[in-house]
Amino acid sequence: MTIERSTRPDTPWRPGPFGLVLAALLPATLLIGAAAGTPSGQAKRVKPAAGVPAAPGFEAQAAPFFKKYCVACHSGPAAQAAVVLNRATSSSSVLQDRKTWEAVSRNLADRHMPPAAAPQPSDAERQRVAGWIDGLFAKADCKLNDPGRVTLRRLNREEYDNTIRDLFGVETIKLSGGQEGRPADDFPSDDVGYGFDNIGDVLSISPLLMEKYVNAAERITARAIATPEQGAVPVRLDLASALSSTAGSRVGSMGRALASNGEVTAEFEAKRAGEYTVTAVAYEDHAGDEFAKMDFRVDGKTIRTEEVKTRQRNPASYAAKVDLTAGRHKIGFAFTNDFYIPADPAKKTPAQDRNLYIFSADVTAPAGLPETLPASHRRIMICKPGDGLSDEQAARKILAPLVSRIYRRPAQPSEVERLVRYVHVAGQQGESFERGIQIATQALLCSPNFLFRVELDPKPNDKSSSRLLNDYELASRLSYFLWSSMPDETLFALAAKGALHRPEILAAQARRMLKDPKARALADNFAGQWLQLRNLSLVAPDVKRFPEFDETLRRSMRTETEMFFEAVVQEDRPVLDFLDGRFTYVNGPLARLYGIDGIEGDQFRRVALTGDQRGGILSQASILTVTSNPTRTSPVKRGKWVLEQLLGAPPPPPPPNVPKLADDKKEPLTGTLRQRMEQHRKDPVCASCHTTMDAIGFGLENFDPVGKWRARDGDNPIDASGTLPGGQKFAGPAQLKQILKSKRSQFVKCLSQKLMTYALGRGLQTYDTCKVSDIVASAAKNDYRFSSIVTSIVLSEPFRMRRGDGGH
Amino acid sequence: MPEPKIGRRTLLHGVGTLMALPALEAMAPLGALAQSAKKSPLRMAFMFVPNGIHMPAWTPATEGALDLMPSMQPLAKVRDSINVLTGLTQHNAEALGDGGGDHARSAAAWLTGCHPRKTDGAEIKAGISADQLAAQRVGDRTRFPSLELGCERGAQSGNCDSGYSCAYSSNIAWRGESTPVAHEVDPRAVFERLFGGADPAETAESRKRRETYRKSVLDFVMEDAKRLQPKLGVHDQDKLDEYLTGVREIERRVELAERANIAGRLAIADRPTGVPADFGEHIRLMCDMMLLAFQTDTTRIATFMLANDGSNRGYADIGVPEGHHDCSHHGGDPVKQGKVQQINTFHLKQVAYLLEKMQAVKEGDGTLLDNTMLVYGAGISDGDRHNHDDLPILLAGRGGGGIKTGRHIRYKNGTPMTNLFLCMLDRMGVHAETLGDSTGRLDQLI
Repeated sequence: MTIERSTRPDTPWRPGPFGLVLAALLPATLLIGAAAGTPSGQAKRVKPAAGVPAAPGFEAQAAPFFKKYCVACHSGPAAQAAVVLNRATSSSSVLQDRKTWEAVSRNLADRHMPPAAAPQPSDAERQRVAGWIDGLFAKADCKLNDPGRVTLRRLNREEYDNTIRDLFGVETIKLSGGQEGRPADDFPSDDVGYGFDNIGDVLSISPLLMEKYVNAAERITARAIATPEQGAVPVRLDLASALSSTAGSRVGSMGRALASNGEVTAEFEAKRAGEYTVTAVAYEDHAGDEFAKMDFRVDGKTIRTEEVKTRQRNPASYAAKVDLTAGRHKIGFAFTNDFYIPADPAKKTPAQDRNLYIFSADVTAPAGLPETLPASHRRIMICKPGDGLSDEQAARKILAPLVSRIYRRPAQPSEVERLVRYVHVAGQQGESFERGIQIATQALLCSPNFLFRVELDPKPNDKSSSRLLNDYELASRLSYFLWSSMPDETLFALAAKGALHRPEILAAQARRMLKDPKARALADNFAGQWLQLRNLSLVAPDVKRFPEFDETLRRSMRTETEMFFEAVVQEDRPVLDFLDGRFTYVNGPLARLYGIDGIEGDQFRRVALTGDQRGGILSQASILTVTSNPTRTSPVKRGKWVLEQLLGAPPPPPPPNVPKLADDKKEPLTGTLRQRMEQHRKDPVCASCHTTMDAIGFGLENFDPVGKWRARDGDNPIDASGTLPGGQKFAGPAQLKQILKSKRSQFVKCLSQKLMTYALGRGLQTYDTCKVSDIVASAAKNDYRFSSIVTSIVLSEPFRMRRGDGGH
Repeated sequence: MPEPKIGRRTLLHGVGTLMALPALEAMAPLGALAQSAKKSPLRMAFMFVPNGIHMPAWTPATEGALDLMPSMQPLAKVRDSINVLTGLTQHNAEALGDGGGDHARSAAAWLTGCHPRKTDGAEIKAGISADQLAAQRVGDRTRFPSLELGCERGAQSGNCDSGYSCAYSSNIAWRGESTPVAHEVDPRAVFERLFGGADPAETAESRKRRETYRKSVLDFVMEDAKRLQPKLGVHDQDKLDEYLTGVREIERRVELAERANIAGRLAIADRPTGVPADFGEHIRLMCDMMLLAFQTDTTRIATFMLANDGSNRGYADIGVPEGHHDCSHHGGDPVKQGKVQQINTFHLKQVAYLLEKMQAVKEGDGTLLDNTMLVYGAGISDGDRHNHDDLPILLAGRGGGGIKTGRHIRYKNGTPMTNLFLCMLDRMGVHAETLGDSTGRLDQLI
């Protein structure tokens, strides 16, 4: 049961809501199979060979079991839940009623059946029979050569940012809050499925995200393509904090009121010489027989005088044009005809007071392209209208390659044609050709052809119709797998030649890409999720108890494991190094935590590890911290982490009735953590899963919640010994690690499954089982080097092929 | 010389939120934004806490006049405006044969009343949530049909809960049965989305041009999507449908923004500056966002997940550095239960902050709180048992008048919580025959 199975809610039966009471069900075989160095269950059955029986036969493997435990209820016309199990006589009859027998397997493995009142098979028996059923179907599925189908995947946040970087060289933009950041920092998080955030089924688009896409497109294109208009955006003058004012208080957010004759000024820097427009929104308090007069002044010289005839309710805009040289200038507004007669209580006349209010003031530069153009601008704007090219011809020339890059496949002429109209749209608004291209690029960045990785099938709803991907689709699969980004020029060129799909070229490209700095994305995204390093940002160790923990250490922990992972990738080391690499990377804070002398400062250095305390990811502070609680270690979490992330043998979910146990008024548990957990495990229902999880976790008890070595926990000496269900004993972390290393094929299989899930963007199915086995076998021949797993995945059918949808 | 008197802050008075309030530019006429004095709109909000509650310190011993239990002391000032509802249940958060995963189910079922399909990714499915149903039916009256807030992003990696995709435990709002609605966690981003977006220096002319372009871009991508649609398989079409819904929603908003031109009228003195380190402050800032959105009638429907279900956040600031989830599995240990209670009280302090602010905003003859129905609670009752009956639920506000408050109402245990939602939807002007597992409408509220 190491392969994900799709959940089918329409299974023939399920335990009712009554919660079946199941006793003493031990998933003890989780480790036993592999303990002897043999791959567990399914992995052993590698390739379907025609004519050879699929598995040890029905009579030997299954019939006695069903007869003993099942058919008493499940036979004849009155069969429970209308599930009849006594009709099966052979493997082929089992294969013919797949729905029923898959449910049998699941109910056995999850210990939902037989019901508690009935005699119970041992856990080993359950595992064996469920494994036999699964193996039967997996083998049958392998013969189908089903490449599977990935649901339309939208770019996730990382992929979006990286793709924008590779398209335009734009790494950061001004975010909605005004700060600089990566474009997708503004996007909501991507949901996670099967442990990764690049799974087509759970990557959805909400209106919120759509809105963010539109905003980001505007801001990205503003950075990527320069327009003559961008210089002509009005710059608001801050009159409110102006230095030289003789009177008045603030109006609005940046304006000023002048109650007496006087001038208010602000500095303005003209980027280049030309005719600038100074605009002021103003109003007056009317008094006397004149309107308030406002002088526009530049560097002290009056360039224009206006009568401000408007009142507060409807202020108006007044403008003056002036030629400025490049450089700093003083822009001023002066009130020159103040008028004031105080109120006269004797005559009962009110005060007469003329005031001038400058609500806001802007300076607008003349239109024109900036002198230094962004590199992306020069790359996109390969021609200009004029020189024999009409606007439309120039637009076509520019847009055809741009659409192809953004859609990651050759543009169709009709697609280009639809975009050409944007130069007209901009023209109608009185704006430039460049602006038209900018808007067209915005449209491209919001198109489903960019946001989704589209793979179109001739028969999209025919499950039996499978096909090889075309070269452009393959290029994108490769680049998003290894770089979390779009294909580069080399991949596009190979796709254009129609050569990429050739196995030797595909494999060579994968190896090339792994050496590229962009392969760092695998550490960020694959390792970040496989090893759960990303969750490091969420942990909050109690700093009173673990004062060495601070933000620097938090970052350092993650960096160490990422660098370690990158080293395995870049140096193409055997993946077994993950379990016991004899080197790591540390900086000052980590070296202090690990007790390594002579390393100071924030710089990371590679160090060789001696002794048996450290070596491999399991002794890295990142993993040890992410699997701890804020105030103490959690052997359960650590054990579960090892089972799930390294051995691919997640403990089965707790039986449905466990929570109810707390209804008993039992005494709180006492003693050391280990003693309390052992008390807890006396409860057979808990013991079923915790025996394995806890044993592994106890083996790591020498590491405290932030990964520091310890011999004591408070007053108690650490007991890091344990016994695995298979009977293997260990006396501490080093010996535990040796046991894990002996399960190499189980580990490699687990890693291959995770990488394959990540590469495909879907959960693995039974029909993928033998593909994974092939990958493991091939890796074994190549010393388990990282690239051998990656190239096997890239060459596998699920990666190179797809089929139609089977419908809802 | 007398100083000129320019009226500012004339609209958003009476709310001393943490941040300085948006101030209206003096030049802007107020009418379009100011709420009608005649009839204030009715709002609906849902606030979710994870991991259950220490129930012995929550449920009042007696029915009728509300006697605040120890956990609820922070609510003393708004006692007369709230009801504690006991006995409500989310039956569909139970295992029902699906085994572990109560945290994932509790969030997914909370507002949907539906039993989420157990899957780690393929074909996720719950049901439409009460808030989204309202948003789809009456959300077009405001610029934003609904607002989704939270303090924790979705999980960054890993399996969230016993074979359930993380989409379940980190979302309570569901637009449709397979589409959860992500929440925003950064108060600054929320603020900018609701009220920002306009450069104060941008002229009306250039803004108009930008909106013209934006509409044209949306037309283009809509056409692109429609060309793509028939070429896709059914599951891919579902994804493209989400995309099309998103595009239509923005088109509508561009038009409304044009009409209201709110962005041009609000000048913001001080904006939130991002996610604060202090968790209480983070919650309160998000509360401020909800309050502002309600007050300006930018939306009438909101959800707020204080934390995702199963959250193991430590609360060191209140002396509980242990993780919340860890404590919630108290195993009957009174020390751990005390810690859960401390966390519960901390959360309620933040709720009290919001409710008091709502009460301070005058609307017509009443207050904003009078014109609100805010549900606060969890989808798990006792965190150790993971039971989904006898849920801790609090209903604040008088729902526009009519909801009698200051009471503890005990319903028969097992009463679907969706029955409460149907009543609330009625008051919002949304008639729904059923929602999730509803069996009728809750009595005794009015």
